[in-house]
Amino acid sequence: MTEHDPVARSRPARRLPDAAAERSADDRLADHEQIERLTDDLLPALVAKLGASGLAEIEVREGPWKVRLRRPPGANGSLHGRRSTDRPSRAQPGHAEHGHAPAALEGHRGAPGWEGLGLTPVGPGRPIGNATGDGRAHRAVATSPAVGIFQGRPEMRPGTKVRAGDRLGFVDVLGVRQEVVSPVDGLVGATLVDAGEAVEYGQELIRIELAASASPASSATGGSSVSASSAPSIPENAS
Amino acid sequence: MFAKILIANRGEIALRIIRACRMMGIGSVVAYSEADRESLPVQLADEAICIGPADAKRSYLSAPAMISAALVTGCEAIHPGYGFLSEDEGFAEVVRAHDLTFIGPPPSVLERFASKEGTRRLLGGHGLPTIPGSDGMLRDDAHALEEAQRIGFPILIKPSAGGGGKGMRLVRSPRELETAIRICRSEARSAFGDDSLYLEKWLEDNRHVEVQIAVDRFGHGVHLGERDCSVQRRHQKILEEAPTPALGPAARAELAERAIRAIVAAGYENVGTLEFLVDRDGNFYFIEINSRIQVEHPVTEALTGIDLVATQIRIAAGEPLAFSQADVVLRGHAIEFRINAEDTAHDFRPQTGIVERFVAPGGPWVRMDSHLYGGYEVPPFYDSLLGKLIVWGPDRPTAIARAKAALDELLIEGVETNVPIHQAMLANEVFLEGRMTTSLLDRVGSAAFLAAGSRA
Repeated sequence: MTEHDPVARSRPARRLPDAAAERSADDRLADHEQIERLTDDLLPALVAKLGASGLAEIEVREGPWKVRLRRPPGANGSLHGRRSTDRPSRAQPGHAEHGHAPAALEGHRGAPGWEGLGLTPVGPGRPIGNATGDGRAHRAVATSPAVGIFQGRPEMRPGTKVRAGDRLGFVDVLGVRQEVVSPVDGLVGATLVDAGEAVEYGQELIRIELAASASPASSATGGSSVSASSAPSIPENAS
Repeated sequence: MFAKILIANRGEIALRIIRACRMMGIGSVVAYSEADRESLPVQLADEAICIGPADAKRSYLSAPAMISAALVTGCEAIHPGYGFLSEDEGFAEVVRAHDLTFIGPPPSVLERFASKEGTRRLLGGHGLPTIPGSDGMLRDDAHALEEAQRIGFPILIKPSAGGGGKGMRLVRSPRELETAIRICRSEARSAFGDDSLYLEKWLEDNRHVEVQIAVDRFGHGVHLGERDCSVQRRHQKILEEAPTPALGPAARAELAERAIRAIVAAGYENVGTLEFLVDRDGNFYFIEINSRIQVEHPVTEALTGIDLVATQIRIAAGEPLAFSQADVVLRGHAIEFRINAEDTAHDFRPQTGIVERFVAPGGPWVRMDSHLYGGYEVPPFYDSLLGKLIVWGPDRPTAIARAKAALDELLIEGVETNVPIHQAMLANEVFLEGRMTTSLLDRVGSAAFLAAGSRA
């Protein structure tokens, strides 16, 4: 299915971050399929449950995965997406940046505004592919393995076919390259940061459009998806 | 002065450093792991940058991640807080190699004081009494036994690379020695990557008293009095106060003056703490130096009115001390309570979970340094410190009365805390009379202590 690229990485003398890809490309592809299945099948049911129950949080475990759905905790605004490199001003706690008014959500069961929605593998590693805002989960995103300066590979133009584990670029950490790899098979999409730009760990760098065969269910389930109706985004790690 | 510094830490100390920065007009950037994305320091800092996953080895303990974060955010210096990279001379060196300033002693000074055994010898040479101990590191079991018998049992086995009471073991007889050394070696190897051990005479009924010092780049040093950290549970400090009830004014002054004289002569730089054991008769013995800001620094701030974190930053920036010894006036009495996420009913097991409600106590002379807020989730990856409550009073009884009121007012719902042990301590006769020793809690047993406290 895919070539096994062990993600060659130089080992410098001093403690360097081990970078993200400790798991094989196969593992990550399997992760991605699992995420898709969970978002399509499980989340709508969970959202309905949470809305009807008035509970603050629901967590469901299935195999190595857990899905946690949490209401915004009162006055605590979410900080997802906020990073040093593009943010001149600071946010105060209680001032949500996604445009939610936390107070207004109270007492509105099932109202839009779920924000702590995450898919987290239990144990080491983390899902690298993310479903994005349109709810059909037909995209994944290659994220930064480290904090440093991003450089893309020029041959990875939009539309280029890639396989899980293929190198898309690197992040320069004190002169040592940490590879940015594709989490899935697919086509290179938009690059979200400019070459030479500072990036933080986990930052979304390059979109990968999934090949049609990789997501047979996606087109059929788009209308009933969770994120289309309520969630602004699915953070990559909510725990 | 620096325009912007990176805070290479988390929790309440990250918050403390942000506050010092803001007061000094310095920009602050918090480096955080994925587990701390929603933390208060991340929300309050001028900037925040994610440096790695929850695993501290790949975030808060990763020198390259920290330095890279400092460079890409345009910081000039790195404040390591306590724990993590704060006393790592290798880290301090790499920081300097990237033209950044490590806020703490310069790498050469850290190196000089890196070995506890070497530090004892160095400061012993500058006139500080040291506790009888082994001559250098233990080579093998035969050497250990020989040294233990020369010093006399009971003895304490200590890892050279350790800190915060971790990895130590008390041995009362030659029979236990061999096994204890094997256990200590393996613990030290896995915890610190260094299994060098040494022996120290164990003083029964000792008190733990430490002297806060500050030395600038120009060799001007002052002491800021002492703190008593005798209330410990399994060698972990849980409550600190100043002045120490163990010594009278003359003995306290002598201890502090000898400490600052020795440490200046030994070429130390920046803020630091010299730890001593004080025996039943008031003799004091130097045991080790902490070359970082300490958890209990607010006790000294309460007595002196001097901001220790700001002082630390100014010294690192090359400024001379803005005060002399004559300016340091120690007023009244202060007590700090470490509030930990621990279940006192179940052997102080660390607790995690969502803090449903948090109300910090207030009123005159009450300070709460905490990164908690309602809705905050205590992550399972790091230590269990949730914050520190510090109270001041003109004398010890007043400070204790204020502490009782403040502890009653403190509200943390959703996560169990160790507040009951503090309340029990404040009802304990030995503590109230100021006669506590480092073994007070462990000898009585925490459970019995709690039971007695709830009857009081």
